[in-house]
Amino acid sequence: MRDWDDDRLLAALGQALKDREAVPSWFIETGKSAFAWHNIDAELAQLTYDSHQDQHAVAMLRSETASIRALTFTSAHMSLELEVTGNSLLGQLLPPRAGELEAHTRTGGISTTEVDEIGCFSVDPIPDSPFRLRCRTADGTDVLTGWITI
Amino acid sequence: MRDDPRVVALVTRASGGDQDAWNELADRYGALVYTICTRYRLSNHDIEDVGQNVWLLLVEQLGKLREPAALPGWLATTTARECLRVVTAASKTERLGTWLDDSVLFADDAVIEEEILVAERNAALRVAFAQWARCLERLRRSDVLAALGEGEEKINIRGGELGA
Repeated sequence: MRDWDDDRLLAALGQALKDREAVPSWFIETGKSAFAWHNIDAELAQLTYDSHQDQHAVAMLRSETASIRALTFTSAHMSLELEVTGNSLLGQLLPPRAGELEAHTRTGGISTTEVDEIGCFSVDPIPDSPFRLRCRTADGTDVLTGWITI
Repeated sequence: MRDDPRVVALVTRASGGDQDAWNELADRYGALVYTICTRYRLSNHDIEDVGQNVWLLLVEQLGKLREPAALPGWLATTTARECLRVVTAASKTERLGTWLDDSVLFADDAVIEEEILVAERNAALRVAFAQWARCLERLRRSDVLAALGEGEEKINIRGGELGA
């Protein structure tokens, strides 16, 4: 760029500014707000089962699939089994234990529910945008799922 | 420009928890991520989805990037992969078939490389331009330009070409 003349530099600069202007501000804000997840000291639970993925294979054979969406997230110390029932999400911690469950949406909304002694909980209503669940139990286990879209 | 010490510094500060440094990264490379999304002809909704995933993945990876200077490359590759995931999911559920030409789906490394270079250059130019604009503003206030006579006029003419 060292030997560029003024015209070339101005053209490149004009293009650079135009490119930046073409990016909607909400897109940049999305990027900035992601930082809220920095340094969350929770163990990540991976999606290990999703009935929705299996369903694609059979959907073409059966037109009426009365399907119940079921998901499983697994981490080293705990797994979360989830099932969509109507407008709520029923869950079970394995091994069963009591705790607290948070549903985090991407916009920063958090709703909290209790997990009972046998490890059951329900998220009601199901967030209509992608969300992830964070579960903390009395024994200090802290687990965070990946993003879920129901 | 690929070893921009400024990028390294921003990544280091952000992984230490500095929101301002992170914001600057989002400002600097938002255009790169966005441009790649538009190349895959995604809807606004999908672009938002991909954008969120890419930045969230970066948040998780921040402290683990082996070479902070390679951040633009990481962003470009991750964005392309996320776009592909969305496109593949869409064609699975709606059986859209191959409405994207192969050149998009199998964009070779050279194309991505070129986009990274342009993004890097653009980011550097925008930073330089912002500094120049600040200097100019200070000069205007300090009457130095008035003392120089025709100086300001010339700057305004060229600045007008950029809409500044």
